Amino acid sequence: LNAAPGRAPRQRVRFLPAPAPGGGGAVELVAARVPVLADHPLVRGPRFKKLKIGAGHRLDVKASGVFVLGVGHGNKLLTDLYNCHLTKVYIVGGLFGKATDDFSDTGNLVEKTTFDHITREKLERILAVIQGTNQKALLMYSNIDMKTQEAYELAVKGLIRPMGKCPPIITAVRCLQFALPEFQLEIHCLHETQQYLRKMVHEIGLELKSSAVCTQVRRTRDGVFTVDDALPRTQWNLQGIQEAIRNCQLKVETELERTLG
Amino acid sequence: RRGLGVAAGPPSTRHLREAEEAAPVFQYVGKAAKRKDRVFVWGFSYSGALGVPSFVKPDAGWKKPRRIQPTPYRLETEEKISSAACGYGFTLLASNTRDITKVWGMGLNKDSQLGFQRSRRDQTKGYEYVLEPSPIPLPLEKPQQTRVLQVSCGRAHSLVLTDSEGVFTMGNNSYGQCGRKVVEDEIYSGSHLIHQLKEFDSEVVQVVCGQDHSLFRTKKGSVYACGWGADGQTGLGHYNITSVPTKLHGDIAGVNIIQVSSYGDCCLAISDEGDVFGWGNSEYLQLASVTETTQVNVPRHLPFKIGKVKEAACGGTGNAVLTEEGNVFVWGYGILGKGPNLVETAVPEMIPPSLFGWSDFSPDIRVAHVRCGLSQFAALTNRGELFVWGKNLRGCLGTGRMEDQYFPWRVTVPGEVVDVACGVDHMVSLVRSFT
Repeated sequence: LNAAPGRAPRQRVRFLPAPAPGGGGAVELVAARVPVLADHPLVRGPRFKKLKIGAGHRLDVKASGVFVLGVGHGNKLLTDLYNCHLTKVYIVGGLFGKATDDFSDTGNLVEKTTFDHITREKLERILAVIQGTNQKALLMYSNIDMKTQEAYELAVKGLIRPMGKCPPIITAVRCLQFALPEFQLEIHCLHETQQYLRKMVHEIGLELKSSAVCTQVRRTRDGVFTVDDALPRTQWNLQGIQEAIRNCQLKVETELERTLG
Repeated sequence: RRGLGVAAGPPSTRHLREAEEAAPVFQYVGKAAKRKDRVFVWGFSYSGALGVPSFVKPDAGWKKPRRIQPTPYRLETEEKISSAACGYGFTLLASNTRDITKVWGMGLNKDSQLGFQRSRRDQTKGYEYVLEPSPIPLPLEKPQQTRVLQVSCGRAHSLVLTDSEGVFTMGNNSYGQCGRKVVEDEIYSGSHLIHQLKEFDSEVVQVVCGQDHSLFRTKKGSVYACGWGADGQTGLGHYNITSVPTKLHGDIAGVNIIQVSSYGDCCLAISDEGDVFGWGNSEYLQLASVTETTQVNVPRHLPFKIGKVKEAACGGTGNAVLTEEGNVFVWGYGILGKGPNLVETAVPEMIPPSLFGWSDFSPDIRVAHVRCGLSQFAALTNRGELFVWGKNLRGCLGTGRMEDQYFPWRVTVPGEVVDVACGVDHMVSLVRSFT
């Protein structure tokens, strides 16, 4: 990064002595643009000694997926993105038949149960109820007076969103795969932690009169950033990062303008 | 036994795995587990209409009586309830079993709308308020074979529909709404009289109670009415009382009617081709699309261009219909469900499906049923969710808040809602558990 050509040094107009066009001895002042010595690379040293990197929404040790980082000026954009309260999408994999103390499959076993009575239909019914209760919570925490016409219009368009502090809310759940004993869910949520999602898998197991543990939590979208924009490990170098920043800049700006005005 | 020279450490992975496999497996529910049917009630409880005695008369002296139940409360019933109806301060629950006890009633009984409930203190008098679901003795000829199909409640009378013994009516008959001759100065309180109606052109398949009138729909698609007619709600062409069920003509003559609905003084009927017919009170613009008069005493066809209509629900001042595509249209006066600005309209307006949970993410959500209370509406989706809106009289919406609801709001019920009955200030829902 330091090897890349930096800013061109500032120029200054100085009056330099130059020999007069006439005979020897007499000195004349001639205006000339000279680079400022203070900007010389040998004087200033390397441009970047430290880089300030900030992290976006937290990601667990056991989880994987999109993790947003901000570099330098991007840290300020990170706080703005946090205030936008955009939804995140997770792919959560679960396993029926076991219950552990930390809700994932690496914890200590608490109980084993049968699960052959579970069908995809029953699971979808439970997911519909989860969506329903969370929808209510969404409307309640958005702090809009329900009696106004404005509230009705926002509710019709589906634009009601809590813009302040609120507990984890799930805006949408869908069952992607179901092959006993495993299943996969796609969850859209706000203000959550990965442990909350694992606890939700455990509660779904309890509701179906069995038990479930969470095997995989993978974040596929965080606000405007999707898996396609994310850099895999092989591209964690300067070119990759610079290109990624350039690609996402426009998206971030439009989203911030749309939400925060 | 571990050796004395070996330190104790965390069990190795192999030991953990073996312990896990050796752990016992619990079975909470088998493969053929059936979903349980439950009844949930909410609303004003002081009349006993919710059927929970501890709300009105608490068990312990220090407990305060609960006047309003703002969220759904589970009601324990002995049998599986297949049909429920809410009247003005009382409720009827019916089961289609072959046992002797088929109908239970609770709430107000000042006009014997719940039959005769013998008081335990005085064997000659009856209870005026019934606080828990009590069996209603029906004078059936074959009590162990007849099944009760449906019940319906009005202001002070109730109708019970059976499959082979016609319709039983009880309660107030001052306007002939029970289908029998009006007796001057009859005392309805503590009356044992339950009238049976059998003379219709074919089997009766649906009974509906308005405020002080009754409607009967037969298998052949014709509609009979009796009771008060001052608003034309009997639809018989006059504004007098009718004490014998008489067939309706007008625009529905010869039309195969598949559903009738009424709760206040206005009535709606749906034909098999999806047309809407209405008669009765039109002071709140319910029938203003065809006439300027405020009372219509003959069924008139309502020419709405909203598609084929599947179901209709009549409230006190507002009406709602459900079309084949699953959209809900409302019109009339009051809180119609489209925000505080829409107070009255004579032409049906659609409620946006996104308010019922429809979105790009779940595009196959449809409204399956609509029901009306006096000033509330309820809608059931195909996923078993219950949405309510309207005036929140004494907590009858079940949202947990006491404010009126201007657009459809989900009611959290722990189960899939199969049916809902709306009354003036309370509601009853029949729910199936998830697993």
